[in-house]
Amino acid sequence: MNDALLEIRNLTVRYPGTTAVRDVAFQLQPGEALGIVGESGSGKSSIAGAILKSLGASARIAGEIAFEGRDLLRLSRADHRAVLGRRIGAVFQDPFTALNPARRVGGQIAEPMVRHLGAEPAHAMQRAIVLLRDMGIHRAEEVAHAFPHQLSGGMKQRTLIAAALACEPSLLILDEPTTALDVTVEAQILRLLARLRQQKRVSLLFISHNLGVVRRLCDSVAVMYASQFVELGRVGDVLEQPAHPYSKGLLASRPSLRAASRGSRLSAIQGQMPSAPRPEAGCVFAARCPFAEPRCTGGEQSLILTAPGHAARCWKAKTLGDWPRLAVEGTDLGEFRPGNALVNTNRLRKSFTMRRGMAAWRPSLANRWPRFRYQPTQVAAVDGVSLTISPGEVLGLVGESGCGKSTLGRLALRLLNCTDGSVEFDGADVGRLSGTDLSAFRKQAQIVFQNVGSSLNPRLSVGEALERPLVLFGLAKPRERRQRVEELLEMVRLPASYRLRYPHQLSGGERQRVAIARALASEPRFVVCDEPVSALDVSVQAAIVNLLADLRDRFGLAYLFISHDLAVVAQISDRVAVMYRGRICETGTPAELLAAPRHPYTRLLLAAAADESPTAEPSADIGAGATGCTFASRCPRRLPSICDTTVPTLRPVTSAHAVACHLDPIAKQQCGTIATASIPP
Amino acid sequence: MLICCTASPTRAFATAVPLSDSTALPRRASVPTALIVGASIVTILLVTAALAQVVAPYPFDQMHIRDRFAPPGLRYLAGTDEYGRDVFSRLLIGSQLSLLLGVIATLISMGIGVPLGMLAGYSRGLIDEAIMRVLDIMMAFPPIMLVLLILAITQPSLMKTAFAIGILSAPPIGRVTRSVTLDLMSGEFMEAARARGERLHYVLCRELLPNVWPVLMVEASLRVVFAVLLGAVLSFLGFGVQPPAADWGLMISNGRAFVEKAPWISLAPGIAMGLTVIGISLLGDGLREVLDPRLGRRQ
Repeated sequence: MNDALLEIRNLTVRYPGTTAVRDVAFQLQPGEALGIVGESGSGKSSIAGAILKSLGASARIAGEIAFEGRDLLRLSRADHRAVLGRRIGAVFQDPFTALNPARRVGGQIAEPMVRHLGAEPAHAMQRAIVLLRDMGIHRAEEVAHAFPHQLSGGMKQRTLIAAALACEPSLLILDEPTTALDVTVEAQILRLLARLRQQKRVSLLFISHNLGVVRRLCDSVAVMYASQFVELGRVGDVLEQPAHPYSKGLLASRPSLRAASRGSRLSAIQGQMPSAPRPEAGCVFAARCPFAEPRCTGGEQSLILTAPGHAARCWKAKTLGDWPRLAVEGTDLGEFRPGNALVNTNRLRKSFTMRRGMAAWRPSLANRWPRFRYQPTQVAAVDGVSLTISPGEVLGLVGESGCGKSTLGRLALRLLNCTDGSVEFDGADVGRLSGTDLSAFRKQAQIVFQNVGSSLNPRLSVGEALERPLVLFGLAKPRERRQRVEELLEMVRLPASYRLRYPHQLSGGERQRVAIARALASEPRFVVCDEPVSALDVSVQAAIVNLLADLRDRFGLAYLFISHDLAVVAQISDRVAVMYRGRICETGTPAELLAAPRHPYTRLLLAAAADESPTAEPSADIGAGATGCTFASRCPRRLPSICDTTVPTLRPVTSAHAVACHLDPIAKQQCGTIATASIPP
Repeated sequence: MLICCTASPTRAFATAVPLSDSTALPRRASVPTALIVGASIVTILLVTAALAQVVAPYPFDQMHIRDRFAPPGLRYLAGTDEYGRDVFSRLLIGSQLSLLLGVIATLISMGIGVPLGMLAGYSRGLIDEAIMRVLDIMMAFPPIMLVLLILAITQPSLMKTAFAIGILSAPPIGRVTRSVTLDLMSGEFMEAARARGERLHYVLCRELLPNVWPVLMVEASLRVVFAVLLGAVLSFLGFGVQPPAADWGLMISNGRAFVEKAPWISLAPGIAMGLTVIGISLLGDGLREVLDPRLGRRQ
């Protein structure tokens, strides 16, 4: 009657002082894929931890986890170990630390086969190579003999999946397997997992914060909020017709891949997830729910069926409408009209010395005498970038990790000195500023960072952190400082009482608000936003993007908005520049770029974000692209005669759209008429 | 000398892990046991040392010729030595010198090591290399030989001993400070300070120092312990405090000849030293835990 592979009943996980998972129940059939979606702290990883028994001594687990008919919670340690690895494989978020750096990759894949199946090491190694080939790795023998540091992030995640599948388990648990990877690599891993699911008939338990990823891979999905499942159903049903208000909010706050007008805002979920939810006192989401009414907080909510196979933990789920859309009324400013340049980078170049110190001394035989020469290796992180930002304009900068976009942001603020080229701010060469001029520049150009964990000094209270720019730039008299700090807090929509708090007492979103307030305290005109929302949950992300847009309109700020997420950039930017390996390959308005991308790399990014066409494997081959186009080694349309030898320059396609590609037909025609490659603002 | 090498860099790294992303909830303050025990021991030590002259049952140099080698008992709590002097009274008086030496030496080593370490970690490059290589050279000398050298060519005195030990302890403090600073340098709040164009002294004193402090508490407690022990060793060898003054090292040294007949003469200062060492170490550990910003005790 019951042939479920995995059946979880009444699973509850408690830590001292808090309950991470409450009364979770679900079934997983053989070959099925279930996604568990929720924001950080919702308890989704604790479910995986309970199955794998990896939660540590302080966790108290109650309930039943029936796997292939046996209750895992009641197995002895030895029996449980025999199930893990052999019948259940697991892959975790961070491929960069999950492999032992001191051992060859092949051995690490072969190990579970030797351990669990008693295979001969040599035979297991052969199997490991076959598995690597299954993962779509071409030179499997070479990879098997490589050390982890020689592989890219995507390759590492493939080897980890291979290791998890080594003993042909019937269940594969994936805890945020693609979160640490670039979009293009993520798309490849997801396709790989979908293929493996079909070929090997393995069931997947896929844990993610990303609804889009779950849509591509899973049959059914559970939405988790504050330790409970709030919605459960087929992927299509839940994502197309979400029943629970939280699912509606989560879906609405995700920016779509569309260009947005200046007045539009993302739908955000107000407030934040309670840290110690008490569902017995009413719906855990009521405080943030736009549909809430007194009856919601009357008592415990239970999962009710809203349609066959679709349940939600909301008593009025069937009668709810859409999540309310937000827009700033009356401020639909239309298209942005650029004025004179505020920030101007001119053929900016920054190279880092990779091999330095003792390692840079190399023997040479020049002039017939053997001698050691100092030859440090130079790597250009930013290579000849010319960009212009007008006052009040938002320039989005998109690219994958390591492409030099953060370096560019720091060069623009002179946090790094450029190797060549120049940055002009308000007509003055930033590299030559000193003394009071430099101080005035620092006041007017500020930065907001990605890492909400370290962007605030843990030893300074919010008030002290916000006061510092006021003191430094002499912006407020001692008596007025406190009032000004409270104004700043109000500006980022935090209560004035937060003045006395320390960073560890704030949530990630709140910390980012304080960091924004600190950057704006000196009343700047230009702010570099370096991945300001990538470390935040989707619902919080939307609120921060909206806040940045509001502040832009209120103070006429210009942003250099750096992100790897094309959808977020398209939402807020007036113009977008796509960067690849230190060079700009395409610039244009979001509408043009999304509708008619011209550079092959932009197309690749778009395809990966929308998961359409096959994408090229990122190549570690530095040789190709060193002399010509940096993208040549990954380009599906590469023409060796020109792409490998000549660096393409940005050439205008329309008045606001430029592309750096030899093969673009319109840009090629323009080439003859416009001699210098300048980017129209 | 061993103690000098075990300057606990691993512990320093363990505490210098970047702040976690997770939202730390304001936890209710619970004072760690280590802190309670350590603080009690150290408080008792300090109080008795300060009031030694009042608390001591006898003057430390009073001889009771008839009660030579009296075993510990009600009359002489820790027995008497070969001149019939009360060992307990001498312990109390001796603690003054030992603790004073430990504290002064540690203050000196922190005064040298912390600024150098922060400067090295902050500046990197040539300044870093110069500072660290000088500290390396200092660390390469056998510490006790160096102190002995200083004391042998000059007249022994407490301040000189403290100064010598202080200079010797500076390199490990500098190294720990530098490693913590390097770790903090990757924090984005440091970059935010540079984006505001902050001056060096503000960055070092206001942004860095408060974060370096908790880690240094542990290191400082180890340094006090090291100085107390080294001071005792010097006295034992005859280069520190001179008789008839009471000093733990000196007492152990004197009692050595009578270890079989009257073990309490050496044992009592030995136990006192052990308690001091344990107390200060526990205090340092406990303080670091309380000062750690992640634990949310500063409301």
